[in-house]
Amino acid sequence: MKKLTQITIALLFTILSAYAQDSPYQAAMKKEIAKLMDADSLPVYQQSANAFARISQLNPNEWQPYYYEALACTFQGVDIHLPADKRDEVLARATEIAEKADAISKNNSEIVALQGFITMAKLSVDPAGRGQSLSAQVMQTFGKALAINEKNPRALVLLAQMEHGMAKFFGSGTEKSCGLAYESLASFATQDEAALKAALMPTWGKNLAEKMVKSCQ
Amino acid sequence: MKTLSILFFLLTSFAVLAQAVISGKISDQKGAAVPGANVYLKGTYDGTSSDADGKFIFSTNASGNQIVTVQAVGFKTQEVTLELKGRPVALDIALHETINQLNAVTITAGAMEAGDEKKSVVLKPLDIVTTSGAMGNITAALLTLPGTSTIGNDGRLFVRGGDASETAIYIDGLQVGNAFGSTTSNVPTRNRFSANLFKGSFFSTGGYSAEYGQALSSTLALNTVDLPMRNQSDVSIMSLGGGYTQTLVKDNRALTASANYYNLAPYQALVKQNFDWEKAPSNWDSEVSLRQKWGNAVKGNAGFIKAYFHTEGSNMVIWQKIPGDNGRGDRVKLHNRYHYGNISFRHSGNKGWFFYGGVALSHNKDNVQLNAADVRQVNQIFHSKIVAVKDFSPQFSIKNGLEFYAKSYSESLLDENRKRDFTDNQFNHFIEASYYFSNRLIMVAGLRTGHSALAKQTWFTPRFSVAYKVNNQGQFSFAAGKFKQLPEEKLRVLQTDLKNSAATHYILNYFIVNNNRTFRAEAFYKNYNNLVTYKGPASNPNNIALNGSGYAKGVDFFLRDKKTIKDTDFWITYSFVDSKRKFAAYEQEVQPSFAPKHNGSVVVKHFVTAIKSLVGTSWSWNSGYTYDDPNLAGEMQRKTKAYSDLSVSISYLPKPNVIFHVACSNVLGRQNVFGYKYAAQPDEAGSYASQPIGQGAKRFLFAGLFITLSKDKKANQLNNL
Repeated sequence: MKKLTQITIALLFTILSAYAQDSPYQAAMKKEIAKLMDADSLPVYQQSANAFARISQLNPNEWQPYYYEALACTFQGVDIHLPADKRDEVLARATEIAEKADAISKNNSEIVALQGFITMAKLSVDPAGRGQSLSAQVMQTFGKALAINEKNPRALVLLAQMEHGMAKFFGSGTEKSCGLAYESLASFATQDEAALKAALMPTWGKNLAEKMVKSCQ
Repeated sequence: MKTLSILFFLLTSFAVLAQAVISGKISDQKGAAVPGANVYLKGTYDGTSSDADGKFIFSTNASGNQIVTVQAVGFKTQEVTLELKGRPVALDIALHETINQLNAVTITAGAMEAGDEKKSVVLKPLDIVTTSGAMGNITAALLTLPGTSTIGNDGRLFVRGGDASETAIYIDGLQVGNAFGSTTSNVPTRNRFSANLFKGSFFSTGGYSAEYGQALSSTLALNTVDLPMRNQSDVSIMSLGGGYTQTLVKDNRALTASANYYNLAPYQALVKQNFDWEKAPSNWDSEVSLRQKWGNAVKGNAGFIKAYFHTEGSNMVIWQKIPGDNGRGDRVKLHNRYHYGNISFRHSGNKGWFFYGGVALSHNKDNVQLNAADVRQVNQIFHSKIVAVKDFSPQFSIKNGLEFYAKSYSESLLDENRKRDFTDNQFNHFIEASYYFSNRLIMVAGLRTGHSALAKQTWFTPRFSVAYKVNNQGQFSFAAGKFKQLPEEKLRVLQTDLKNSAATHYILNYFIVNNNRTFRAEAFYKNYNNLVTYKGPASNPNNIALNGSGYAKGVDFFLRDKKTIKDTDFWITYSFVDSKRKFAAYEQEVQPSFAPKHNGSVVVKHFVTAIKSLVGTSWSWNSGYTYDDPNLAGEMQRKTKAYSDLSVSISYLPKPNVIFHVACSNVLGRQNVFGYKYAAQPDEAGSYASQPIGQGAKRFLFAGLFITLSKDKKANQLNNL
């Protein structure tokens, strides 16, 4: 019996130390980030946004939970199955949350890129009506994200999408948008995904870049 | 191995024992399921989201007294305290809705908004400049909206049987005096301010807020752009002149400076004119605007200060024929100098406080030479305003404002060294409370109090409005109010103790936006009291009194559709106005010349990607203007034939930063007549000779090239068209 106790304690320690590398915060974040990356429907995105909101209430000084919550809201906001007023509502929420992230981590290329993404989503709700006023703002925000980190692959691929839309509108060539897409994919290739994931940093957007590059070829 | 399985069994069962399962349903007050709500135990990671039926279930290791928090978009966050003892807990929670500014009902009675994101807008800022026939003139674009009448020989805003002086215009909440360029009679004018200054506008055709006063019919509030996006230079080369604008932006501040020059002489040398110009109108203007942002919106202490200065000058000499006279007629020379400046701020503080206000000064000087007589008229308006808004809850807010006006006017006969003038100080206070009973029902009540030192009069004008949303898209609003306005300067200077004219408005509105289609229907009734009456001609009135009265009633419709026809956006308006008033020198109530009964317009915009061009057309029509024929008994006995104008325009974008714009008004070359001028005295046969008041030219053709230079090659001047 004594032996059993010893084994139990030893086992418990090994189990605990295996988890000890991750704080509850990190464990929860990793699990939810993985879920968000696999999400494919509006209710799942909402569940994801809620999960990050639960994490932020315990960790109000971390920017990542806000970042991912806003991202989960933005993914809902670009879904054309949602009525326009609901899209605006969820994007207003995304804006608010992203501002909280920005207040914690100033001049963060990832947060600025997300803010550009949110504005881009707002534009997509009514391109004809909002294009004139918002397109300049979108370009400028991505420009700012790239000024902080010129290799930010998410800012690059989103900017590529924006340029692609504008080139289509003006009937001009796609060289610029394709160039940005290639640049983005190259940047994705050099990023150390495992290390970024361990640091809870954003890694999403690679398939978007791949899809764009494919359409450019 | 066996030991290990036992161990795992023990460990998991231990965990299960300590866990409490919390489950239940989230609904609204009516019992409908709320899906996607965030339900969690405060201070832990334990929680979940409600499913499509509002149901939720989650487990927690926590025990003792705990708080369950429920959050859902559109609802107030709710907290429930419960004690966990390791046993399952059932919990059904009914949430209370919050007032959601994006989707809640808004008051649309009398109001037409142009803006970017709000739901109740009928126009986007861009529409003002891409409407053909508008030629970049804000007012001309507004004339395609319901409730307005196109008065082609005037060019200003005439709303629902009211004359142009009954519309007050504001920039960033501060009044603008002489917002329209000075002109001679029957030569149409345009708004002095360039459309690209503004990010949005609020145009009310009646029943407006207690924030606005001294306007019997209508208000137009224009809001300037906050921070421009980038450093850029804009160059415009037009058939009528040219301009240059430089914008500099750094961090939270921006500077814009611009200069423009227009001269119609070269154009008029090429295209035959109906008017007898000795010197074609020419105009220069220059503007500077500065803006500074401060604070952090997230932390709740943020604001904006804007300063804007505009100065311009214009000249023209025209000969105006006298009916029954074969000569060239009267020679009118006009020289105008105009300045407008304002400094405005807004600041949102903590605890639901919001402040805004500012100061503005308009100064207008006209030197008019009518044949040999030299007259100088100077009009000046100083306006200052401070407003505090307090949100007591998301449902309830109160707005409180103080305003001071100093208005002065003088006219002098320069040769005879004669001068008359007046100065009036006006004090105003307004208070307005808004209460949302729910997202479907809002009520606003306000009271505006005013005092004029010169008229020695104090007045109270109550305003009320209510709006109810019948389903997710459609809503009804009702507005009513009293409105006062002192007579025009030219009359007040003759008799300075003239008191207010008054109007009462009742408006019922239905508004629906659904899937890129907007429909608006409105019925109104307005009555006028104490309108100015006088004897003799308008140029030399006597016996000035406030003995006039009148009414205006009607309905109008607006339909905008961006969906039915691909890549095409169009709107149709129809306004019916039945108005009669006893005013000016009229002895009885007559239908005024500026209130045609039936008015309509159709605006179509179509983007053709193949030729990178925006093609537009607009048609505006009314059933004709009444006029007085002294050869007949009675007053305002006759009516002109119907007015109709079809305009077309095309904007070609060869490159994203270059726009080539061509527009032509009245392409069909219709000879529109706005009324008739009669001789002051009958001829030998005893009849009064007449002469039609018509258009300056059959058509007006405009061409312009707009180039934007900036680091961002995509930027352009769409706003200038």
